[in-house]
Amino acid sequence: MIADPTLPETTTVASSAGAGAQPSLRRLMGEIRQRKVATAGLLVFLAILLIALLAPLLAPHEPLKQNLGDNFLPPAWKDGGDWTYPFGTDPLGRDILTRLMYGARSSLIISIGAVFVGLAIGLVTGLVAGFYGGFLDTTLMRLGDIQLAFPFVLFAIAILAVSPNRTVWHLMAVLGISSWVIYARVVRSRVLSERNKDYARAAQAVGASRWRVLRRYVLPNVWQAMVPIALLNLAYFVVVESLLSFIALGLSPPNPSWGSIRADGRQYMMVDPWMALLPGFAIVITVLAIGLAADGFADILDPKLTQGAFQRQPLTSSMPDSTIAEESENDLLQVRNVCIDYPAKSGTVHAVRDVSLDVAPAEVVGIVGESGSGKSTLGLAIMQLLDAPGRVTDGALLFEGADLARASNKRMNQIRGRGIGMIFQDPGNSLNPVLTVGYQLAEVIRANRAASGDGIRTLARQSLAAMNIADPDRVLRAYPFQLSGGMQQRVMIALAMIAKPRLLILDEPTSALDVTTQAQLLAELESLRAEHRTSMLFISHDIALLAQIASRIVVMYAGQVIESGPRDTVVANPLHPYTRALIGAVERVDAAGEERLEAIAGDPPDLRIVQPGCPFAPRCPLVMDRCWTVAPPRIAREPGHEVACHLYESPGSKEIAA
Amino acid sequence: MLAFALQRTAQMALVIFGVITLTFFAIRLVPGDPARLMEPPGTPESVLDLTRQKLGTDKPLSRQYLDFLSQLARGDMGTSFRGGRPVASTVLESVPNTLALGAISMAITTLVAFPLGIAASRKPNGWLDRATLALSSIAQATPGFWLGVMLALLFAVNLRWFPAIGNAGWKSYVLPVATLVISLFPLQIRAVRQAFIETMGEGFVRAARARGLSERRLLGVHITKVAAIPLITIIGLQAGYVLGGAIVIESIFNWPGIGNLTLQAISQRDFPMIQGTVLITAVVFTLINFFVDLTYAALDPRVRLR
Ligand code: SF4
Repeated sequence: MIADPTLPETTTVASSAGAGAQPSLRRLMGEIRQRKVATAGLLVFLAILLIALLAPLLAPHEPLKQNLGDNFLPPAWKDGGDWTYPFGTDPLGRDILTRLMYGARSSLIISIGAVFVGLAIGLVTGLVAGFYGGFLDTTLMRLGDIQLAFPFVLFAIAILAVSPNRTVWHLMAVLGISSWVIYARVVRSRVLSERNKDYARAAQAVGASRWRVLRRYVLPNVWQAMVPIALLNLAYFVVVESLLSFIALGLSPPNPSWGSIRADGRQYMMVDPWMALLPGFAIVITVLAIGLAADGFADILDPKLTQGAFQRQPLTSSMPDSTIAEESENDLLQVRNVCIDYPAKSGTVHAVRDVSLDVAPAEVVGIVGESGSGKSTLGLAIMQLLDAPGRVTDGALLFEGADLARASNKRMNQIRGRGIGMIFQDPGNSLNPVLTVGYQLAEVIRANRAASGDGIRTLARQSLAAMNIADPDRVLRAYPFQLSGGMQQRVMIALAMIAKPRLLILDEPTSALDVTTQAQLLAELESLRAEHRTSMLFISHDIALLAQIASRIVVMYAGQVIESGPRDTVVANPLHPYTRALIGAVERVDAAGEERLEAIAGDPPDLRIVQPGCPFAPRCPLVMDRCWTVAPPRIAREPGHEVACHLYESPGSKEIAA
Repeated sequence: MLAFALQRTAQMALVIFGVITLTFFAIRLVPGDPARLMEPPGTPESVLDLTRQKLGTDKPLSRQYLDFLSQLARGDMGTSFRGGRPVASTVLESVPNTLALGAISMAITTLVAFPLGIAASRKPNGWLDRATLALSSIAQATPGFWLGVMLALLFAVNLRWFPAIGNAGWKSYVLPVATLVISLFPLQIRAVRQAFIETMGEGFVRAARARGLSERRLLGVHITKVAAIPLITIIGLQAGYVLGGAIVIESIFNWPGIGNLTLQAISQRDFPMIQGTVLITAVVFTLINFFVDLTYAALDPRVRLR
């Protein structure tokens, strides 16, 4: 999901914060505090780490001091135990608590060291592979593949088994080398994606050196992604280290280690089960704590995994009275005072605010606005396909008189496809990649009982032919990735039209296509409308495009409708300063004949904040004092042409009660 | 497809060759003389020399390596330094034991992890999801070797329900399989859950839902067919882990498999036996990887028809 305009600021805020170099790691630390379980895990881990590092100061005895008179003493809470040896002693009379603390010390030092070894190797190889590419890249990554393709434990055992004296350094190196591939892969893919981003390109264009771009833009993002991976790696090493010492391949004796205490304990399990149990618990607690912290960090970086994508629940509040009063037979779709929110920890995003609009049978209505204006969110809301956690909080979406926001899930499933169809921006991502076009068409035909038996294939072929697809049989057999973008979008439309929906919502259907294909597709949509009298809600950032196909145009800004009216009046006589700027931008593009200029100076507003005045005020060239404090009323100028702007509050105009 | 298979076969052969060569030199280049280990301490040098001659470790390394390769080319993996058993048959006898343990564990893991992971993914952060994740976090934090000993202590030594060591009928499988399943399922359940949640968020699922397809069709066909693809890789990786992890599990339960054999051979510096076990492990492992790749290609037309 890259720059999906249907996902409002929640995601874009998160990713753009990552672009601003330094704060990313700090942000991660800040956010982890809001997650109780992860914070608890992190604190427990830090406590264990502290005990481990301070073992020489804290431990009650010497780790290697034998006291044969005191061997096999039970722990303090058992008969015969006392607090001189809280956890008892081992067969050589050494204090188990002390040995556990020193065991933690060697285990954590080795594991942390190994993480850094792996991280260092992975970082260097990943950066080199990502930045230089070519032969170096292929060789390094292939080497990694081969290493991953072999069970590493076997290698570790073979190497360690033949090392006569195993020190901390040996273990760090052996473990660390095992994990470089994981880091290298992440670093490499990050480098590849970051270096192609605009800011990195721009920096390089103005002459910043490769390494400067790397340090300033790429590394901060890389570090952030590394945190959960490194933690999981650390947890894994703690286990592997104890495993190695358990099978007597860890630190050379008599150095204490959790695994070797366990192994000693195993021999005397009958006499003294505590010796076997305690180090096990120590490992479980440590690894669990690290794992929980890692989960927390991973969750911050990719909240989708705890949020889920689609969790629709019908609205339970009753419909506003105004909606029922206004109902009219004539309109197919009536959007009434709809508000849509995306609750988020950093503040609820009010993506759509009190929006109303109508679509009549066989009418094409265009919604225009920049990304983040709420236009796509509105389209998804009509289909009741908002991604979690977004939801309609107020208003009504009346389709043929029934409110979609309050419809049951079952009812909504009947309306989707059959009552309302939807075409999305990215056709390549809208078809199932592993099913043939023929399968996906047949599936919809069966679901709608549009044909049966041999008729299915005939109908599938016909529906493709109706979209001017010259070779329907080839396309039926093809997988989506074998088709061009224009062809994919034709298939999408054919799929949507099988159920003969009364309304078709088109969300930037041609934005991903080249100009010629775009023109062909528009012509095909127009003939569909003429033939089937399908109403269309056409969503686009391009007002010139809408002027070609829509009979009415609705302009959205910051989640609100700021101007709406018949196409001709809106295009010929735009009222709102924002609409004027949009049309002005089109004219400038036409004049220049190339490069699309940034339409209007300034940034789109932060949708988490509800300003008292006009949302466009910070960017408006005609802003007045009043605009900052008083929300502009909706004013009707010509029949059906409405605008929300203080400029038109002259005595001649009529204010509409909201 | 044929070119792909040939290329992979060549690559596998190369990997296996690299692994056995590495093993051959690694075990010989480090101190520790097998002859000295075989004879009682204090044996005079003259006797040790005879033993070395018998074992062939007196010859120069390059000579030993060439002998080893030409033997191998004839399908002969040599005889064990200990007791003179032929390596090939000893290793091959142990393989089915390991494979049976691994296959049963993998099958049970998959049968548990898939339904549970999919059910958890339906409502991320719901009670089932949280419970599943909590359980898998704990299982993940429990080292297999510790768990194995604990299970043996409880169910074999104290309760005497199952045998603690060896392979004597189905009862012997219970404890090692349980240990392996508990170490395998956390990763798999997380992978299943993640693959399904991620796939559910894909544009094509949303588009299919917009076409009015039933939730059953969405989950049963559209989501599952795509989510299964990355999971093939995970299952392959886990199969490799079982093979590697077998060393530990087998030594705990004294299971007559290849892992146990490897560990014994290492501690006895039984060169031919080490070479044999490593060679067979490498072969089995690369074969598993090969089948994973084939399945991957079969499931994903984007790979198959590239
Ligand atoms: S209300 Fe004021 S700030 Fe808003 S568009 Fe009109 S003039 Fe500009």
